[in-house]
Amino acid sequence: MIVKRRVAIIAALSIAAMTALIVWKPTVLIYGLQAAGLYAAVAIPMGLVLGIVHIVNLAHGECMMLAAYAAYFGCKALGMDPLVAILPTAIVTAIFGWVVFQLTIRRALKAPELNQLILTFGLAIAFSQAINLIFTSQTYKMPLEYVSASMDIGDISFGVWSFVFVAVAIIFAYGLTFFLTKTMTGKAAVAVGQNPRGAAIVGIDVYRTYGLVFALALALVGAMGALFLTKSAIFPGVGSPFTMKSFCLIAMAGIGNIPGILGASVLLGVAENFLRAFRPTRDWAEIVFFVLIIVVILARSLKGRKS
Amino acid sequence: MKRGMFALAVLALFVGSAYAQGTIKIGGIWTLADITGKQGSAAAQLAVDEINAAGGVLGKKLELIVVDDEGKADKAAAAVEKLATVDKVDVFVGGMASGAELGKIPAFKKYNKVVMATGAAGSATVEKALGPSPESDFYFHLHPWDYNQGASYAEGWNAIQQKYPNIQIKKIFLAYEEGAFGKSSWDATKVLFGGDKRYTIDGASFKSALLGGGDYTAVLEAAKAFKPDLFIWAGYDADALPLLEQSKAMKFSPGIYLGAPPGWPIDFGASKLSPNVMLYGMWSTAMNNNNPSSAKFFKNYVAKYKEEPATYFAPLAYSAVYILADGIKAAGTTETTALVKALEATKYASPLGETITFKPSNIIKHQGITRQKILQWQNGEQQVIWPFEAATAAPVYPFPAWK
Repeated sequence: MIVKRRVAIIAALSIAAMTALIVWKPTVLIYGLQAAGLYAAVAIPMGLVLGIVHIVNLAHGECMMLAAYAAYFGCKALGMDPLVAILPTAIVTAIFGWVVFQLTIRRALKAPELNQLILTFGLAIAFSQAINLIFTSQTYKMPLEYVSASMDIGDISFGVWSFVFVAVAIIFAYGLTFFLTKTMTGKAAVAVGQNPRGAAIVGIDVYRTYGLVFALALALVGAMGALFLTKSAIFPGVGSPFTMKSFCLIAMAGIGNIPGILGASVLLGVAENFLRAFRPTRDWAEIVFFVLIIVVILARSLKGRKS
Repeated sequence: MKRGMFALAVLALFVGSAYAQGTIKIGGIWTLADITGKQGSAAAQLAVDEINAAGGVLGKKLELIVVDDEGKADKAAAAVEKLATVDKVDVFVGGMASGAELGKIPAFKKYNKVVMATGAAGSATVEKALGPSPESDFYFHLHPWDYNQGASYAEGWNAIQQKYPNIQIKKIFLAYEEGAFGKSSWDATKVLFGGDKRYTIDGASFKSALLGGGDYTAVLEAAKAFKPDLFIWAGYDADALPLLEQSKAMKFSPGIYLGAPPGWPIDFGASKLSPNVMLYGMWSTAMNNNNPSSAKFFKNYVAKYKEEPATYFAPLAYSAVYILADGIKAAGTTETTALVKALEATKYASPLGETITFKPSNIIKHQGITRQKILQWQNGEQQVIWPFEAATAAPVYPFPAWK
């Protein structure tokens, strides 16, 4: 009862804050939600891997970068739009993910966490340097007209394309929740995530499940890579900042809480854009990210100690 | 026995002839993973091949030995050491980033061989580290220093407003990336354009996509509210198209929309958003029409590498090798004092559209190019707007409203 009441209060306060923002500074909310969509859509696959395989994939952003390069050159060769390339890229990266898991990550699952971190960090460097060697640091960007689609509200003109990331983040979050709670494979994955030994005793192939989950996460990363092409230029280092942001969002949401990543992303996106909207605080937008993480984790620790 | 003696004599003759023939070794240092280094070193090799095909220099072949500095100061310093001691090069060429160039300077000073530098605009670091004449006389700096660039922009805009009275600039907004490059651009803009109160200046920073950013909405909102006549963004090539896409989405169309990245993305010209965007640079393919040296460079480069040069660092490196070769010919040696003296008399009609000579800059004695150009993307190609003597097109003004 108390919990329900608290949730209702938070929801009411959030709605009130959003309404105030819409009236006072609508662009803060618009751009904040757009940024949140991008952050969440990239972070959710990492959250899946961390929640079930229990490995921090420091090559997460680099995997998205590889997918973006694959999609770019696929699109250039076949004259495709990146939106058409989403599915083929997802399939290719799923296969790539399966192979990477079997060749590398599987071997380190029983190793100390530090070894796992070093392994995925090594993969990140290998991926970015390989792309640097092959394609140099030259940037590539697909010129697309629809990404400049615009909408007017009163005197304000703003881009609407980035709302696609909001939609993708919601689809990822609720699609994965459905998969993990309603399908046999998903339930098996949750079981393996919660207790791998117990899952193995009841006949679940633990390593196959890990491999499937990793491949699924990379499929989502691949889809995001192709979609990311519509928004950003690509270059060897384009993915790495997303690894850290994604990890921090997962830490804010709580490991295994995939829908929670949506909430954390909205908080971060809106807070960043709120600070950017005012001249004196414009340069503080990057700091808010770390401040929020510290506050949330600190609050959670204090709450845990009390209970 | 006789047969053996004959074989020895032939061998001695061959070895002696090869020794006499010899080579003049040029040590090239670039960041090879970067397009400027990749194409710069390729263009330098093209110049070496052309010179060798024409008989070489002083009866000797030129040999270019390239080492990658990976854009890092320590690697750049090690590259100088390796080229000077292992390869025993006669002269040095190359460079782009000021940070890496700074690492080379102590080693350059130690070996005191002639350096033809194609990059490094940072006067506060590189020029200061070089120091005044005579200790830095071995160093020939082809690329303009940052203050040269800034002064040439101010000169260029004044000249353009005088020639085209319909172009009137009162308010300038600079969107600058939050790193050292952007901040130094902002500081220079305030001094150059805001000093005499002729212009009203405003600016805001953004996080470049290259450094993990890529959201320009806040900076564009600030710019739109300021209503500038001249909007300049100082960032990287990764920002070029996303910035334009967001500008279009926000219906932000200032009188002049100018980008100042070190390089442009491949196929930027093919974008429907590129027409009439202005830029700062040194060279464009359009110059092939009115500059035979540029046309020759371009034709030979494309024939050899099956790709177009996408950065002015390619013709700059090509020019550097030709200037060195001409200097060595005139000096008759690669010995530093004689070569420095010969290079001081350089008058090289470069593919960059100007005759390169060396004059003192604020600190060093041998500064080559001092002016950048103002260009504009027109029909997928960069056209030179200013300096007028190198112009290939008239400016399209104002930057059209988005449709």
